[in-house]
Amino acid sequence: MKLSRRDFLKLSGIAAATTATGGLASIIPAAAQDEIVMQWWDHFLPLQPLTESVFAAYKESNPNVTVEYSVFSPPDLGQALQLAYPNDQAPDVHALAGISVPIPALKNEGWFASMEPYITEEWKNSLPESIFIEGRTTFGGELYSFPIFSFRSHEALVWFDKEILAAAGYDPEVGPRTWDEFRDAARKITENGNGTVFGWTQGIGHTERMGATLTRLAQLAGISGDIDWNTGEYAYGADAYVNALEFLVSMERDGSLFPTAITIDTRNARSRWATGSGGLFLDGPWNPGVLQGNFPEFLDKIGVSQAPVPDLDTPSYAYALPKSGDFWISSQSDYPEHAAAILQQFTSEDYQIKLAERMDQPPLDLDTVAKANVHPTYAQCMDFFRDIVRLSPDPLVKNPAVAEVLSRMNDIRPNLGEIVQGVIAGEVSDIPGTLQAYSDQLTAERERAITEAQAEGFEVSQDDWVFSNWDPTADYTSDMYGA
Amino acid sequence: MAALSSKNGSVPAALVHSRILSKLWQDRLIYLFLLPTVILFGLFTLYPMIASFLLSFQDWNGFSREATYVGLANYQEVIADPQFWLAFTNTIVFMVVTVPIRVTLALILALILNNPKLPFAGLFRTALFLPVVTTMAIIGVVMTFVFDPVGGPVNQVLLDTNLISAPINFLGRSSSALPTAMGIHVWKWFGVTLIYWLAALQTVPEELYEAARVDGANVFQTFRHITVPLLVPFGIIIVLITAIDTLRVFDLILTLTGGGPFLKTEVVEVYIYRWAFNSSIPRLGYASAAAVFFGLTTMFMAILQALGYGMVRRMRGTAS
Amino acid sequence: MMKIGNYTLRWQMVLTILVLTVLCLVWIYPFLWMISASLKTQSEIFSSGLNLIPQEPQWQNYQRAWVDAQFSRYMINTVLITIGTVVLTIISTSLAGYVLGRYTFIGRRPFMALLAGTIFIPAGYTIIPTVDLANKLGLLNSLWGVILVMAGTGNVIHILLFSAYFSSLPKELEEAAVLDGAGFLTVFFRVMLPLAGPVVATVTILKFLGAWNNFFVPLVFTFSRPDLRTLSVGMFAFVGENETDWSGMAAAATISLIPVIIIFFVMQRRFVEGIAGAVKQ
Repeated sequence: MKLSRRDFLKLSGIAAATTATGGLASIIPAAAQDEIVMQWWDHFLPLQPLTESVFAAYKESNPNVTVEYSVFSPPDLGQALQLAYPNDQAPDVHALAGISVPIPALKNEGWFASMEPYITEEWKNSLPESIFIEGRTTFGGELYSFPIFSFRSHEALVWFDKEILAAAGYDPEVGPRTWDEFRDAARKITENGNGTVFGWTQGIGHTERMGATLTRLAQLAGISGDIDWNTGEYAYGADAYVNALEFLVSMERDGSLFPTAITIDTRNARSRWATGSGGLFLDGPWNPGVLQGNFPEFLDKIGVSQAPVPDLDTPSYAYALPKSGDFWISSQSDYPEHAAAILQQFTSEDYQIKLAERMDQPPLDLDTVAKANVHPTYAQCMDFFRDIVRLSPDPLVKNPAVAEVLSRMNDIRPNLGEIVQGVIAGEVSDIPGTLQAYSDQLTAERERAITEAQAEGFEVSQDDWVFSNWDPTADYTSDMYGA
Repeated sequence: MAALSSKNGSVPAALVHSRILSKLWQDRLIYLFLLPTVILFGLFTLYPMIASFLLSFQDWNGFSREATYVGLANYQEVIADPQFWLAFTNTIVFMVVTVPIRVTLALILALILNNPKLPFAGLFRTALFLPVVTTMAIIGVVMTFVFDPVGGPVNQVLLDTNLISAPINFLGRSSSALPTAMGIHVWKWFGVTLIYWLAALQTVPEELYEAARVDGANVFQTFRHITVPLLVPFGIIIVLITAIDTLRVFDLILTLTGGGPFLKTEVVEVYIYRWAFNSSIPRLGYASAAAVFFGLTTMFMAILQALGYGMVRRMRGTAS
Repeated sequence: MMKIGNYTLRWQMVLTILVLTVLCLVWIYPFLWMISASLKTQSEIFSSGLNLIPQEPQWQNYQRAWVDAQFSRYMINTVLITIGTVVLTIISTSLAGYVLGRYTFIGRRPFMALLAGTIFIPAGYTIIPTVDLANKLGLLNSLWGVILVMAGTGNVIHILLFSAYFSSLPKELEEAAVLDGAGFLTVFFRVMLPLAGPVVATVTILKFLGAWNNFFVPLVFTFSRPDLRTLSVGMFAFVGENETDWSGMAAAATISLIPVIIIFFVMQRRFVEGIAGAVKQ
């Protein structure tokens, strides 16, 4: 039988303790002699230097604690966790990505350890009230995790090369604001582009993102999202979705879409956009952060504007679900106290300012950005988010048993993003019919899963997806669930 | 007693028994030779396959502790899923198109490169092998440039020679994405088939060629009457290996098209992966069922082909 | 070849070389592109498209891969794992291929059928029971575990290849040896195995390649020991949620391919060392 390193360390710790107690010089407590090696897995590549500096700082005060840090790509992280947990190989702390099993379901499998025994009231009180959400960060009132990023964010901002947009007759300080303007700007940019510059560059092959982008545009066209909170029904067949998809397709039909875009992912598309293919690019606030690292000479040329809307007369909003925790302590960890101690560093103002300066997802408190040294477009993004992003109701928070339904639902493929790609690539011509069919399939699948969960004794029904007191213009705060 | 026993046949049985034992003992070195394979193959190939086979009768998401027995439900669902059959068809089409091309082209080049008098043969062999080692992720990026609808060299050549009138979005349309992926596959894995052929050609003794030369046979006669008969057993294995290779096009499809657009270029391996690892709720039982069903179907087809081949050969044998 | 004058024969050769050269240049273009990308800046990779010449070689890409991404450490692990896997594979597959190809014995047909039966089943998803088994055997988090698993998978075609090759060798070879008083083991190790050079070379190259590039097995077998990771696992450090470090990845890929190419170049010579020569000896 081979010993894993952790076993070995445990054993050598015991051996050290035995010699210490049995030996002559037992002044130093055994624990101080333990070399502790912790595993930490996440997918926050752009934050890597910052994360490593937190570990280094912790090692200063705790010289016996070393953190072995692995950054995975999101799908790899999901698979790694899926294989590690059943074999007792889980890291001490990890992020969750590439795995969309609802967090309460993972909690029920016993994946996570509570932070509660290792944290102070004082630190807990320093956290914003809005992050304490049962089923997302707390279980049974105990804090398990917390987000380091704000929920107030979206990925459909319009990014552009200011010169190219100005040449198309649009003010780069304002950008194309409506669908019509976006389409028109894209067309003009293509006309000016001599067959090499195109109006719209996007990673259409990145279907998860395209699904999210479509939902975002549909929200801004007046729907609450995948699910209509007034009825609890899937909303993919609604006009807002159909119109938003027709808007995206219109660019392809105009010839304004960068042709290679259809199969490439967002990372690749951004590279092409930044090196000459294009005018408009829909992306999140992390865009300047990536450009700063990889395409610094392009950073000064870019401008940003709010996600396009059908018309400017009706106020538009985008909705974001409450954020789950970003890091979780594994129940298999031998050092939860060190894990919790390190994690507490992530909410310090000093850390949050540095986080903002990496220009990734927005920091927990958007106002932190004002104190940070960031690219002007990143600061602008924060204003855009404050203006339109609202906290959405969450069925999982209303009734944790919803997790039992979600984890029994099988995927319906092609999914929303694949439909977007299919329509743009000309594989699908009936937009309303396809979206409605997708909606209907999901409805049937959810009904099946609800019946199954009910049969196993869980109290859950479609009513858990209905929020009659939802106000589309305001945040849906924790106190509204009870009302 | 003995006479009686011999009548009711128990002595011959015992005799056969001891003959088997003595044969086994006589062949003990043979079994010793098989032992390393039995252990390694048994533990790390056979056992996981059996475990997966058992999994195919269960509903398991891979992260919960409990799996539920569902009988043949996974198989029924696989067979009823049109997307599975699309992936199945794609896989078969992929195989039927690429295998003959790879095998034939590789044989032609192997015959050329096998010539000991050819200078730089080592360099040529290495060059033809290089795509095999080139990292798939990198190939994915290069190919978006090579097949770029805007100014990519392939489109440029086709336009300049007037073979097409408008650029083709090779990877962006389902009609052209699969053939393009096939072309890239042939290019990338051609080198493997080539080295199989080169190894096979070594079984043809040089003396036979010399004898043929003395008899005044030309290149094609030599090939037809000396090379081909000796290469047939290898040819069968090489076709088999190449065919199996085309079942493993996971990386290629994922990198080039991601199975899109609209899942039209999905192959069975990607389908399985999608359900096992890349769906919101992993379905390992279902993925296993798809894998087992596909495996059995291809095996069945291979057996049919082998039987057909055998029959043709026997018929030819009796005819001549 | 027919009686063609020396002159035309040479022209034929020149033509062949010419065609092959052009073909090979086209063939290796993506490989050259990878090397050139490893010397470009991130933006140059995309702005220069298919152009191969970097404006100014960016050697720091290699520094990033070799030092920052710890490819120096991964290289040692990968070499150890690959050598172990190849050696184990050659031993086990040549032994099995020999007896399956040249002898009839009880259980031969069922064994062949079992081997052949497994090659059609797509194997990607069997990683879950494999890890489970390795965990029970205590093989997780060790280089040995990785070696054993890789030497125990994907070998059926190698066995078949050895078996076909050995069965094609003329009977006279071992009859002569047996007359000289050689036993079973001597025949195999002294006569048969040395003649199997081309197959040994083929299996070595393919297994080398497979072990060198295997991603999943070394990944899951080194979860708690990042210091045991291999080059292909280290490669994922270049891919993030929103960005890919293409130049770093190209440099890392180039570094990790050099040994493979050397192995190939060395081994491929054995393809033309025909058995004819050996028989004469």
